[in-house]
Amino acid sequence: MKLRFSRKMLCIPYAVFLLFFVIVPMLVIVFYAFTDQNNHVSFNNFIQFFSDPTKLSTIVYSLVIALITTVVTLLIAYPVSYILARSKIKKKTVLLLLFITPMWINFVLRVNAIRELLSWIGMLGEANYFNTILGMVYDFLPFMILPLYTTLQKIDNSLYEASADLGGNAFTTFFRITVPLSMPGVLSGITMVFLPSMTNYVVSDMLGNSKVTIVGKFIETYFGSDWHMGSMIALVLLVIVFVSTILSGGFKSEENVRGANL
Amino acid sequence: MKKKIISLALTAALLLPSLALFSGCSGDGTVILRVYNWEEYIDDGGEGSYVYDTLKEELAPDMSHKAFQKWYKKEYGTQLAPSIIDDFEDWYEETYEKPIRVEYSTFGTNEDMYNQLKLGVTFDLVCPSEYMIMKLIAEDMLEPLSNEFFVEDNELNYYLNNVSEYIAGVFAEERELDGKTYQLEKYAAGYMWGTTGFIYNPEKVDFTENAYWNTLLDTNYKNKVTTKDNVRDSYFVGLAIVHQEELLALKEQYENKEITREDYNEQVTYLMNDTSAETVKKVQDTLIKMKSNLYGFETDSGKQDMVTGKIWINFAWSGDAVYAMDLAEEQGVELNYYIPDECANLFFDGWVMPKGANHQAAEAFINFLSMPENAVRNMYYIGYTSAIAGDEVFEYVEDTYSAEEGEESEPYDLSYFFGKDFRADEGGAVIYTSPDQLSRQLYAQYPPEDVTPRCAVMNYYGEKDKEINELWTKVKGETLDAWAIVVICVAAVVIVGGVLLAKFGGKIDFFRRKPKKGYELVKQEPYQPKKK
Repeated sequence: MKLRFSRKMLCIPYAVFLLFFVIVPMLVIVFYAFTDQNNHVSFNNFIQFFSDPTKLSTIVYSLVIALITTVVTLLIAYPVSYILARSKIKKKTVLLLLFITPMWINFVLRVNAIRELLSWIGMLGEANYFNTILGMVYDFLPFMILPLYTTLQKIDNSLYEASADLGGNAFTTFFRITVPLSMPGVLSGITMVFLPSMTNYVVSDMLGNSKVTIVGKFIETYFGSDWHMGSMIALVLLVIVFVSTILSGGFKSEENVRGANL
Repeated sequence: MKKKIISLALTAALLLPSLALFSGCSGDGTVILRVYNWEEYIDDGGEGSYVYDTLKEELAPDMSHKAFQKWYKKEYGTQLAPSIIDDFEDWYEETYEKPIRVEYSTFGTNEDMYNQLKLGVTFDLVCPSEYMIMKLIAEDMLEPLSNEFFVEDNELNYYLNNVSEYIAGVFAEERELDGKTYQLEKYAAGYMWGTTGFIYNPEKVDFTENAYWNTLLDTNYKNKVTTKDNVRDSYFVGLAIVHQEELLALKEQYENKEITREDYNEQVTYLMNDTSAETVKKVQDTLIKMKSNLYGFETDSGKQDMVTGKIWINFAWSGDAVYAMDLAEEQGVELNYYIPDECANLFFDGWVMPKGANHQAAEAFINFLSMPENAVRNMYYIGYTSAIAGDEVFEYVEDTYSAEEGEESEPYDLSYFFGKDFRADEGGAVIYTSPDQLSRQLYAQYPPEDVTPRCAVMNYYGEKDKEINELWTKVKGETLDAWAIVVICVAAVVIVGGVLLAKFGGKIDFFRRKPKKGYELVKQEPYQPKKK
């Protein structure tokens, strides 16, 4: 048999990478979630998870925190991206850069800066949930702005002209043209903000003085003592992520606008 | 065939480095010693290490670190002074006439270390904390120290000859775990030790006479107190608050000389290892109550927050307390340390050998670290208190904490640590220190003799471990009422259903929009280009 190089072989490194760093770890999580300390198959973790009010409450709290974060981020990001994309300001790129550059600074550093700021105005330790959400909104804002900006910018100007021709006022134009056409951006922004804000426990630890516990922190705590329960929580989270991604249509490739075109 | 070749190549690539790891010596006969230690837990010869700082102080006290390093490099060909590990390699080769190479790696938490061991990574020497040592013993993962390590008249047995009486006593105590008795000293050699207590701001609170753990629950100090963000320290605080009455009664009995030191310590230790279901529940309630009074849980930020005055009382490990007080002094703030009246947690890190370790080299390393002059170097660098006594250590403590000449001074007796016979003809192990040290760095590094009986070791919880970890997640997380969870779950289902409807509703007739009055819905065929 002769070894012949074909173009298909180029994907071997990628396949190996996928296997070792995506598929195998997932299987390991599933394995740990459904076994006990002696590596026997067991559904104990599953039962314990769904019968423990603290764990369920923590998931609920994380969901609520993530939801508020997403809504607030969207409310801030939409007007910003709209202005950036539609108005005729000169040097728009500079403005956009102002929103994007914080993303290039190390994330822990940024959260630390906010911590100092909050402590300076005396908020740190007073309103832990508020601070956590504030930190998350600040942190994830660029992830919402970028896809929104991209989709809004792509909307054809002639549509607005047509709307004006047909007697549409600003209100109608916005709700009949801008909103529907920017939906792909909104959805991908939501996915990119909602999911990480359920697990980003660096923010909740630093700005909530470790008094706010979200799912990510829970998983981390359990991995100190009990990998099996930790994996179970991770698995539950994975399912939640999966379902919400399907709901927001994240798997449809034609609507995918996650790439930023700066 | 192709697949096979690839998989073979991959397996080989994966196995090769691990083969090298498994062998104790490299090809040329060099002994390899794999040491696994805490981060920044050994003198590394750089800025802040004993030799380097002493040299700098002598040669160029006004020079900046950068300039000094440049100068040092010119002089010695390296920017660093020799680290303990370099010196060990030289010493070992000189003493045993064999070359050795130390492969040094570090971990961040005991649990990380444990996971590495469980994953099968092999080490010759590891430095876990007391409860983790107990856990490793219980799971039979450790190799006992060899008999040669305990031969008294071998001058190379620096650990045996220099370890403090006090620490040796703690290591010799018989402990019980899951029905088996054992002694730590058979498996572990002490490295650093410390206590837990309060760092406090004397301008805001007065703890010079007494302080109690339930200060953390005091609403007068709401948002001005912090504790540690980990299960063991929190459980300890909870226990101390739950058992406060018994602990204070014991203290009184001891002060009235109704019970001996040993009895006092034994009973405090017993109370502070209470893991009965009833107590666990009480501790949980206490901690949940405490949480609302705290500024927060912290691991590292407490020291800085104390210095800036953001908080007034901080649950601290003694070594951290020394660091915080030094830091505060530099900024002109005064902070003090006090071990609460009920009890304190006596904790320590010790060197142990996992199964399959190279005994001879590992024990040589422990002994090298236990030379008093090396203990001083590590103490200087790390800031915690070494388990080693001996002349050089005493001199170092004396140098650091003695009062200036002509200054007011108080005697501070450390004979419990350095030994009753230590310098018997020169006044014993007594340091004449300035009075403010009695509530500060010296007190933190070496608690007074009267305080030590209430410093208790908290053992590994054994089979109760899981239960207490669950307690911790209950304290850290929020627990909603059952009805709230149900309501929120229903709301979530409604939202999901709504989204699904909005997405697919258009395909179901029922949800189609009805045409306005007077209009008719015309079914429109999709546009099809005509075929030619």
